[in-house]
Amino acid sequence: MYVAVKGGERAIANAHRLLADRRRGKRERAELEVGQIQDQLHLAVDRVMAEASLYDPELAALAIKQASGDMIEAVFLLRAYRTTLPRLAVSEPLDTGSMRIERRISATYKDIPGGQVLGPTYDYTHRLLDFLLLAGSDAPAPERSEQPLEPCPQILELLDAEGVIERELDDGAEPCDITREPPDYPVDRATRLQMLARGDEGYLLALGYSTQRGYGRNHPFAGEIRLGQVEVEILVEEWGEAVCVGEIALSECQMINQFGGSREAAPQFTRGYGLAFGHSERKAMAMALVDRALRAEELGEEVQGPAQQAEFVLAHADSVEASGFVSHLKLPHYVDFQSELELLRRLRREYEATSPGRTEAAEAGPSQGEPQASTADTANPGSTV
Amino acid sequence: MPWPTLNDPVHDSQRMFRQLLAAMSEPGTLHTLAAPAPPQDVIGPALWGALLTLCDLDVRVLLAPALDTPALREALVFHTGCCLTDEPGSADFALMTPATLCEAPEFALGSDEYPERSTTLLVALEFLDSGDTGSGTWRLSGPGIPAQRTLRMEERARPLMLRLAANRQGFPCGLDAILGCGERLAALPRTTRIEEVV
Amino acid sequence: MNGYNFAYLDEQTKRMIRRALLKAVAIPGYQVPFGGREMPMPYGWGTGGMQLTASILGADDVLKVIDQGADDTTNAVSIRAFFERVAGVETTTATRAASIIQTRHRIPETPLEPGQILVFQVPIPEPLRFIEPSERETRLMHALEEYGVMHVKLYEDIARHGHIATTYAYPVKVDGRYVMDPSPIPKFDNPKLDMSPALLLFGAGREKRLYAIPPHTRVESLDFEDHPFEIQRWDERCALCDSAESFLDEVITDDAGGRMFVCSDTDYCERRREESA
Repeated sequence: MYVAVKGGERAIANAHRLLADRRRGKRERAELEVGQIQDQLHLAVDRVMAEASLYDPELAALAIKQASGDMIEAVFLLRAYRTTLPRLAVSEPLDTGSMRIERRISATYKDIPGGQVLGPTYDYTHRLLDFLLLAGSDAPAPERSEQPLEPCPQILELLDAEGVIERELDDGAEPCDITREPPDYPVDRATRLQMLARGDEGYLLALGYSTQRGYGRNHPFAGEIRLGQVEVEILVEEWGEAVCVGEIALSECQMINQFGGSREAAPQFTRGYGLAFGHSERKAMAMALVDRALRAEELGEEVQGPAQQAEFVLAHADSVEASGFVSHLKLPHYVDFQSELELLRRLRREYEATSPGRTEAAEAGPSQGEPQASTADTANPGSTV
Repeated sequence: MPWPTLNDPVHDSQRMFRQLLAAMSEPGTLHTLAAPAPPQDVIGPALWGALLTLCDLDVRVLLAPALDTPALREALVFHTGCCLTDEPGSADFALMTPATLCEAPEFALGSDEYPERSTTLLVALEFLDSGDTGSGTWRLSGPGIPAQRTLRMEERARPLMLRLAANRQGFPCGLDAILGCGERLAALPRTTRIEEVV
Repeated sequence: MNGYNFAYLDEQTKRMIRRALLKAVAIPGYQVPFGGREMPMPYGWGTGGMQLTASILGADDVLKVIDQGADDTTNAVSIRAFFERVAGVETTTATRAASIIQTRHRIPETPLEPGQILVFQVPIPEPLRFIEPSERETRLMHALEEYGVMHVKLYEDIARHGHIATTYAYPVKVDGRYVMDPSPIPKFDNPKLDMSPALLLFGAGREKRLYAIPPHTRVESLDFEDHPFEIQRWDERCALCDSAESFLDEVITDDAGGRMFVCSDTDYCERRREESA
């Protein structure tokens, strides 16, 4: 006898208890502290902050803990929290030129004013598993220079002074806020950069990579990559001046790309720009590649590669949207499936009625391990609208 | 005397929004809004309640000269934070009288791609009921109306109604109107076919 | 619930959605873009419907939530629990007792009544999306009322299968103007959209679009003179309530091909069984 499934509420509550149990893991081990995640998994924290569009290392660490390390779930948790926060003020534009540098490199010049600053990087580590970390070992304190860093001007500004790179000027337009307004394609560059800044790192990495392999190639040079602390300022109208409300860590990448030019304008290098919260160098680089690729139309280049198709790139960049829609396939679809099934059976009955010669094969197919081809070509309902 | 606002902003605005939604989705139906009465009573509680329910920082409101008083300006900006504008083409809402509509300002009608980017008129009437005969009676049909409805209003509103009747030619562009009289209001979206009962 | 506003959304977001809803009912079937917010549920799980419900819901409302026609499917349970928690509203499983019904994939069998609001969860609001993936293009097609491609697509089905192979999310034309996706309801439910006494609201959270059909509005399912629109029919009746009129879910009862059919609308089915008992 069929009994309708009941007790959904209890099942959900029990699933949550089981989840909490798995998250805690073996009870004889110490529970992971949020502070440990914040300090020792800080690159994970930075990625979650970047894709959630919320700078709060402690809450990002909490989200990682709550999500048992599932980064996309953690991004979603922090994003959903962000959406409930009041908007108290809008900061002044950040000045990455006056960043307190922790790392700063240029691939276009051997030496640069302020110098190449390697900073904390995995770049030259040999990727050998460090078994000492298994046992737990104390890291020696790093050596630090006595001298403060010399001023580090932005490399692209030096090129700009020479006129060999396109100038970027603030047109004064109020940027669209993608967290409050739906995208209205085609979107301007400010909107695109916002969407890329919260885009999934893996997705941007793959798209950026595709441009390097020829799908919309644009000859990039890593003009400058800088990581460090930048002051956030808010204009207080009563005082008539901007006040620093804190510092955030940022990664910035400025790509130099092959030139445009025409009869009216001398040839100049073009730019691709990437910016992300925290130490997110790979993300910033990938973003800069994709930003440049998306400028194809504006720069009069032929749109050939997927990374140059703005609506395609931007509409699918958000991991929270993407994972939600993919995972929704887990929800019941009995009704739609039943509708398809009803049609499919009808089509098959009609087929069998009109093609008697093939009836037997079609019927015998599944049970006798016949190839499915005979049914597949009749039974394909096509894409549904 | 300062203009009053909602006692319970969350629940009062929800209740009045549902009345506005019912009014707009069933054109010509009358709804009585339990909204605070503005002093001098130039626009009536229904339209004041609609403004308090719908306006905020993201909204631009145009006030017809006949209704544009310092008290209303101050109250509207103070209670809702909306921006006041003199540009009819940029107004999300326009508070009008039938007389001010005779001058035919160029309100936003939306575009074929974005028909929703159009001005919603809030019109203060002196008389409004569902009567089906007599001068000033209009017959309504279209989406939201089983068969037909009628609305009766002061004769002075004729230019307004003719303008709204002309909406059909430009559909999907057009003006949507909320008509207020005292505590009552009705709405005429751009889909409504409007005929004069003669 | 502490720390959150009534019905979760802040008032400014509700106002933004409410203004968009007024435009949506004024332009029936047109997809109004809105600044959709993240909800504490995944996109694709009803965030659009939830934002609409949160924006219209009041303390006096009685809310019903269904998924696949049933009140007891897990996501319906979860959304109902969410609104009980953040709005403290009364909920019901009885279609007649509800003032607002949020639904995924079905319209209740019990006829809706004037004053009721049905809120649909919509995954892909654009009916032309699977023919033309670009938003720029589809917006233009709606603007120019260029719907020929949709008819071509449906006709290709007929040429290939002898039938229109669209069984759910079957496109409709609203008041003779906009072609609209009625959400993935089975085409069985399409006739209920036409001249419905209830207000029908549609919310797509991820795609940030909402649209509406006011009560008493003409809604036609697209078809051809030689291939008129028709709905699904079953040879079977509901094994529980014996209804011959309702949409039936197939249930597999054993591994020897045994199956039975039961109403997808659990409230309708239970009410019929109570009445006959």
